[in-house]
Amino acid sequence: MADQSWIDILKSSKKTALIHDGKRKIHFLFTDGKEMSEEYDLQTDELIVRKWRHKSTLGAQGQWHVEVGEPLAGPVASSDLEVIKENCSNPVFLRKDTKTSFRWRVRNLPYPKDVFSVSVEPSDRCIVVKTSNKKYYKKFSITDLDRSQLPLDNSALSFTHANNTLIVTYKKPKEILTLEQELLKELKKLKGTGEGDVDCKTQ
Amino acid sequence: MASTKVPEVRDITRIERIGAHSHIRGLGLDDALQARQVSQGMVGQLASRRAAGVILEMIKDGHIAGRAVLIAGQPGTGKTAIAMGIAQSLGPDTPFTALAGSEIFSLEMSKTESLSQAFRKAIGVRIKEETEIIEGEVVEIQIDRPATGTGAKVGKLTLKTTEMETIYDLGNKMIDSLSKDKVQAGDVITIDKATGKISKLGRSFTRARDYDAMGAQTQFVQCPEGELQKRKEVVHTVSLHEIDVINSRTQGFLALFSGDTGEIKSEVREQINAKVCEWREEGKAEIIPGVLFIDEVHMLDMECFSFLNRALESDLSPVLIMATNRGITRIRGTNYQSPHGIPIDLLDRLLIIATSPYTEKETKQILKIRCEEEDVELSEEAHTVLTRIGLETSLRYAIQLISTAGLVCRKRKGTEVQVEDIKRVYSLFLDETRSSQYMKEYQDSFLFNETQTPSMDTS
Repeated sequence: MADQSWIDILKSSKKTALIHDGKRKIHFLFTDGKEMSEEYDLQTDELIVRKWRHKSTLGAQGQWHVEVGEPLAGPVASSDLEVIKENCSNPVFLRKDTKTSFRWRVRNLPYPKDVFSVSVEPSDRCIVVKTSNKKYYKKFSITDLDRSQLPLDNSALSFTHANNTLIVTYKKPKEILTLEQELLKELKKLKGTGEGDVDCKTQ
Repeated sequence: MASTKVPEVRDITRIERIGAHSHIRGLGLDDALQARQVSQGMVGQLASRRAAGVILEMIKDGHIAGRAVLIAGQPGTGKTAIAMGIAQSLGPDTPFTALAGSEIFSLEMSKTESLSQAFRKAIGVRIKEETEIIEGEVVEIQIDRPATGTGAKVGKLTLKTTEMETIYDLGNKMIDSLSKDKVQAGDVITIDKATGKISKLGRSFTRARDYDAMGAQTQFVQCPEGELQKRKEVVHTVSLHEIDVINSRTQGFLALFSGDTGEIKSEVREQINAKVCEWREEGKAEIIPGVLFIDEVHMLDMECFSFLNRALESDLSPVLIMATNRGITRIRGTNYQSPHGIPIDLLDRLLIIATSPYTEKETKQILKIRCEEEDVELSEEAHTVLTRIGLETSLRYAIQLISTAGLVCRKRKGTEVQVEDIKRVYSLFLDETRSSQYMKEYQDSFLFNETQTPSMDTS
């Protein structure tokens, strides 16, 4: 994967497009068996959802992992099945991008703004959110930058806090912007199978 | 702060039931593979235990595939006991699959399919897999039980690291295992998110000064750092059969409804074999050949035997141990007679271990061990009487009398089983010989006695 650039991998993947609910939905199947699914707003072309699914080492079908967008609200499993899960009062971490920047939102953080500190850790290639009251800590990487192997820049990072929500913003570098535009152009060329239910060929 | 909130729980650490072979803890061999007269619940059968020990070494080495062993002997001479002993000495990491010869006859699955599933259950693959774990110090456990006593319990667990704190909702299973492991505030624990397996790492250093009674084995550890949820590589053993099942499941939501495994296509098996070999060459996985034990092997028929012949030749084959109590008898599914009811060509591949009847001293010893296992105290005379019974009738009958005599003794508020108690249960319960005797005497007064059938065909 490392010697092949991300755009080539995207090009070599099997893609299925579908326009539904005012969203352009694209399903990617990569040569190594990984699956990626993206959803774009038809009007604004903004990325709404991007999720991944891997096969486990033993070959079992994994769960979808949401990279961008709201976490999946799947059917609620019974309490017997669900061994342990986070309480709903805990902070919720999700990524919601804009056209020009990556943006993460952490909801349910009822602390003043000066509690938080957000920084880039270049050695681990990730962003760290810390709280001085030791209530919340999160280390996350910018997967888009990792895939394109671009460096992280502290000056591109900023954060605000309002309505119990911490918003971390990282300005997209030029390379990412051009890549996204190129990809979008490519995706629009894909024949959307129109409205209604269709069989996803790549699945 | 120091007051820990661990609710009193009805004891869920289940008491193990006493089975016919629960007193066996191993083969009872010393380092030179010599059998000790009485050890690990095994008594006598020195030669066969020694032979089993040699087989055990071979299994542990793991190089030889597809060897088969037959344990043959009269009923009640410890054939199953020896197999259990092998299983116990192998430890939990080597797969040991036991089945009885009659188990493979099912309407839902062909005989050969269930045999190959059994074969593949007995081969383990040690492989690294990434799992998500939660690692942190327990701040608080709170479990609410509904006042009515029934219904779901609700639980909350607060965990922290040096940097953060999170509250988790607990499912029923989780609550049970938390209270079973006696997890309390101040413990540092890890939870495997997928399986819910909890392991205690120790107590947090910050709690070291709590005035609290704790055992000498309590370990103090640092509170974990960073995020609570981590991805970690764990090594675990799965059987080939489990991998088959994972890969043969109907995908999508249909998988929810097909709980049973059903038949597995041979293409899937071939794919898995190739994959496992690939992993082994890459050093990602290690193959652990285990043991398949088939009890009452004479119940298998001709087709199964020829399947076994073939299956033993595969290099992904476990060590096969079979047991039978039959002499020269008809092979099931044919009209041929053969020793042990097993075709000669298969017998030729087998190493045969014979067990011999127990002597009086050994019988006495076994009965003593069983008494301890079943928590029944026996007086010296009662013990002698019981040994006599064991020799004259059968060891199994004598063992059955232990617990019944124990009950009779308890009913008359005695502490030690006396000869009278033994006599009483002996008169209450017939053994096999006396029962046949009775049948012969009163045959005429039983139902359907006019249809005189020849003696029962048990093969």
